[in-house]
Amino acid sequence: MLTRINIGPIHPSTHGVLRLVVDLDGDTIANVEPHIGFLHRGVEKLVETRMYMQSPPYMEKLDYIAPMSVDELYVSTVEKALGIEVKERAQYQRMILLELQRIASHLFFIGALTNDMGMMFTGFMWGFRDRELILRLLEEATGQRMFYVNMRLGGMVNDFHGDFEQHVLKTMDYMEKRIPEYEKFLEKNPIFKQRTKGVGVLKRDDAIALGVSGPVLRASGVPYDVRRDNPYYFYKELNFREMSLNGGDSFSRYRLRVMEMRESMRIIRESFRKMPEGDSTGQMVKLRMPPVKNKVVTVAREVPRGEELMYMVAGDQKPYRLSIRSPVFINLHALNHIAKGHRLADLYPILGSLDVVMADVDR
Amino acid sequence: MTDEATARKEMDALVARSLEGREIKPNVVFAKLSDLMKVASRGMVNWSRVNSIWPLQFGLACCAMELMAFGSASTDAERRGFLLFRATPRQCDVMLIAGWVTKSMIPEIKRMYEQMASPKYVIAFGECATCGGPWWESYNIVKGIDQVLPVDVYVVGCPPRPENLYSALMKLQKKIGGEVEG
Repeated sequence: MLTRINIGPIHPSTHGVLRLVVDLDGDTIANVEPHIGFLHRGVEKLVETRMYMQSPPYMEKLDYIAPMSVDELYVSTVEKALGIEVKERAQYQRMILLELQRIASHLFFIGALTNDMGMMFTGFMWGFRDRELILRLLEEATGQRMFYVNMRLGGMVNDFHGDFEQHVLKTMDYMEKRIPEYEKFLEKNPIFKQRTKGVGVLKRDDAIALGVSGPVLRASGVPYDVRRDNPYYFYKELNFREMSLNGGDSFSRYRLRVMEMRESMRIIRESFRKMPEGDSTGQMVKLRMPPVKNKVVTVAREVPRGEELMYMVAGDQKPYRLSIRSPVFINLHALNHIAKGHRLADLYPILGSLDVVMADVDR
Repeated sequence: MTDEATARKEMDALVARSLEGREIKPNVVFAKLSDLMKVASRGMVNWSRVNSIWPLQFGLACCAMELMAFGSASTDAERRGFLLFRATPRQCDVMLIAGWVTKSMIPEIKRMYEQMASPKYVIAFGECATCGGPWWESYNIVKGIDQVLPVDVYVVGCPPRPENLYSALMKLQKKIGGEVEG
């Protein structure tokens, strides 16, 4: 005899407006069915009515925890369709900003995951305090706190100002001291360990079959990373380490994100060392572009949540069709597979460890 | 006869006419006392309402990130009594609509609003909640939450900073305390 209960769409730990219909056998989950679409606003269709460079603000709202990563992906897609080269200095600057964005996103993940487990105060407050420092750096570089729109075709809107490098390196020094504190606080905490170790195991073959990507895939033992396997910008020239863990449980997914934060800090330091002198500003924003007709481009990027892909059929002045492959949508599909057989109380740590953003799912 | 005396006489006549055919019950005195108590305590109740505004923990979209930043360590919201975010609408005074509202969310938002105890207030936080924002052309978005709920304070920005929410709540405090009309 199964009991069917409804969770959401408004619930303090659904990471957005997600409705879960759960079939329970006693306290054990028999089936989870995510109902999505509460944030649908038809962004793929809206973009078809806009000129190319009018769309970046729409793209940033897809993944609002790491907005710049989607913005950059869209601008790169347009650059590829129009055949525009990006300046070398701008490529390094984009890498630095994207890695800063990745650190901010993973800090948010730690805050949200600990919040889901009921330890709201320390984990949440610590995660947000350090995220605030990164946001301050991004505000310094771009002038906005959350939605930046700082990419232009072929470069950036502004070059970094003189003191920016020092400010970033200072914050990185501080973060390097903070991350061991997170590890000490979470990995020595018996409750955190009990609720994540061995919970929500996603095996290697299942992960490949379900098509998950990003930290969820890497925590299951597949070292696939777009930055390493299909490199863009100067990632291939950096000393990029392969990252994967074999656990496949919620703890591995948390652990892998902490490893990624360390790796991002290394990339930022290395990029600052290698960044050439010069100017990184891109082309002025022009509404009318040189005509392109029926050119099909596909660009993939490693955003903090996985492999995001844009497929664009370029029309004259406007995209004829833009299709987005969202990593979160596919990772959310794995929820039923992972959560089956666990207790109801473990559903939220599992959902938290997948790190979903509902705006990217519903589009 | 002076004007004052005429007025008094008229007033007495009015009172006599209104009491005509009515029995004066002894508990009238007590009822009047309780009314007095109500008047005397109104200031007290208002004072406590102003200084403990409990918002509902309810995020829709991007602006919810700034809402969470508002609740975190950098903006110390508790020092003016904007206490913890509550997870159930029955314990809350103010509902913050942070994000775009789709047509499929409207029944849920209405239900949440009806579950809140009166007096209740609504803050439209961000462009999307005030007027539809960048999605005003979309087929699935409600162009402003004020088409559905009565809004007390509007906050503009995409997204507004946590400090803007702070000032919006201070405006709401003024409104509850009766310092501004509107």
